[in-house]
Amino acid sequence: MSETCKYPGDILENSLEKIENLLGADHGISKRSIGLLLLQEDEEIMSLVKSSEAESFAQIMEIVNHAKTHFQEPLSYIISQRRQEEASSIVSGAIEHLPKPGLPFKEKLSRVMINPVTGIPILLVILYCGIYKFVGEFGAGTVVDFIETDIFENHINPWITQVVSSIIPRHLFRELFVGEYGMITLGLRYAVALILPIVTTFFIAFAIIEDTGYLPRLALLIDRIFKKIGLTGRAVIPMVLGLGCDTMATMVTRTLPTKRERIIATILLALAIPCAAQLGVILSLLEGNSKGLWIWAGVVGLVFVLIGFLSSKVLPGDSPSFYMEIPPLRLPKLSNVFIKTYTRVKWYFMEIFPMFILASMMIWIGQITGLFSLLTKILEYPIRWIGLPDKTAVAFLFGFFRRDYGAGGLYDIKKAGLFTGNQLVVACVTLTLFLPCIAQFLMNVKERGWKTGVGISVFILLFSFTAGFIMNLILNILGISL
Amino acid sequence: MDFVNKLFKGFKPTGSCCGKKGGEIRGNLSKIAIVGSPNVGKSVMFNRLTGAYVTVSNYPGTTVEVARGKTRIGDRELEVIDTPGMYSLLPITEEERVARNILIEEKPDIIIHIVDAKNLERMLPLTLQLIEAKLKVVLVLNIIDEAEKIGMKINSQHLEKDLKVPVVSTVSTTGRGIDILKGRIEEYVRNM
Repeated sequence: MSETCKYPGDILENSLEKIENLLGADHGISKRSIGLLLLQEDEEIMSLVKSSEAESFAQIMEIVNHAKTHFQEPLSYIISQRRQEEASSIVSGAIEHLPKPGLPFKEKLSRVMINPVTGIPILLVILYCGIYKFVGEFGAGTVVDFIETDIFENHINPWITQVVSSIIPRHLFRELFVGEYGMITLGLRYAVALILPIVTTFFIAFAIIEDTGYLPRLALLIDRIFKKIGLTGRAVIPMVLGLGCDTMATMVTRTLPTKRERIIATILLALAIPCAAQLGVILSLLEGNSKGLWIWAGVVGLVFVLIGFLSSKVLPGDSPSFYMEIPPLRLPKLSNVFIKTYTRVKWYFMEIFPMFILASMMIWIGQITGLFSLLTKILEYPIRWIGLPDKTAVAFLFGFFRRDYGAGGLYDIKKAGLFTGNQLVVACVTLTLFLPCIAQFLMNVKERGWKTGVGISVFILLFSFTAGFIMNLILNILGISL
Repeated sequence: MDFVNKLFKGFKPTGSCCGKKGGEIRGNLSKIAIVGSPNVGKSVMFNRLTGAYVTVSNYPGTTVEVARGKTRIGDRELEVIDTPGMYSLLPITEEERVARNILIEEKPDIIIHIVDAKNLERMLPLTLQLIEAKLKVVLVLNIIDEAEKIGMKINSQHLEKDLKVPVVSTVSTTGRGIDILKGRIEEYVRNM
């Protein structure tokens, strides 16, 4: 039977034939394919064959090594070059008309996005309109205010408190549902009034941005900066996705080619990338305090670059090379944006809702047993070191559960007027850097293993408080009050 | 509870990568695997064939987990597997390794290789590798509308003759060519 693709030099075809004759077991794909992968020294296939045909493996490797001596370039290069030639000759026979390469409008727009001089202003405009205006002001501002104040505080909370009071006379059990940390008054309110609008607006903005094909261009734009921190432009996608949900993004680090890059990206996601809910709450916390917002963004950005740079120095490995498919720019399809937002929001909500309710229950149990106040007392020490009011300890305790839940805690404290400007900014920075939520921790462990997963968490715990401490110190020494 | 499931999932070996949709499908259904470079529309095709929904994006690397679903072709039910993007049978990234392992371990009966018609020349080497691996391949020239728009014309009969596998032109987002694709799969299934 004639083969579709013949390989150059009798030596390759001969070696292949010899290897094929030595192979016995069925590996799901043809012996010829296995032979070719062995010639290209694919590690997985090599160990597969080593275990399935132990006797002839040495002989096979001998053939491979012998074949290698006949070529200057690696065999994988020779083989793929030959295949590309074959493909090109088939295509040239089948293509009846090829367009002249020109520069249509889309292509011009694409270049403007990639060129740093024009690309960075475009990026800033997208961030300003998409994140600050739409997610921050509209989602976390207007919509949250409406649901939180008008619906929950004025209607649902008083009504449900009354209803529950008439059903459950005992104060202790009433607290579980409608107390300060009650399942309805706190858990449900955080999930529906705070997190839901923020996450929804973020996912809408994100779906539009991703469907246009902007992200790979952003990857090219900041590839050079990312190289300095041991990543390539490819890592832009998990990072931007992390602004939606860091847990989801940690899974997407699988698209990064080297283990080193995957570890750096996992650390940065856990440490310095706030998720949508957190980002939204922080934007609304610092609303009307633009100096504070800039300082928060500056410090978190600095930490991102610094830790990336340091870990790229510490972790062994070569600087990665960058190669990415650039899809054409397209107008987003409304139906796709809608269904994508819907599935993501649904997934996210299903994930957090039981957690929030569970958190209320655990706090309730903690309050009865006294564990809650003990933990809060312990946390109050580091909280005081970074110059925050004692009550913030509760928000950080929430933060152990989920970062967005913790940010929600800050939201309530600010509303009660307990923060000075400085304290607010320090609290926002510390909580942004603080431990990832439980789901992300489990994902880190799943993707990177126990040692790395736990190591990252311990490092982050120490680092976030140190950063808050230093920041508070600097603000005090310089006598800045925000 | 979702959280508990997640906790357990964290301890399962990565090999048991069950997709977001459909869960595990048992029995001896014939399998169709959808493969191709990143961002050529594999997930849209999966959605078209199964009626399920997996996230679709205009950038490479959206699918990192394997999604599974069922489709009905003719009078038979088949399992459809959506795979992460791969450029070659020689993997470089984790996602490519995941995709190749499906071909090796699950031994799918039919492979739908989806290419972006505009970039046929760059993507055809994978078709050659799949044919070389003696897999039953259907080559799908997807996003054919964008190729036509820039004035590119491809003779698919000619391609079929050279490659000796079925070649179908489609636009998965609008559904153009999907019936023809199903017809060609049916031919394969009947001869199985």
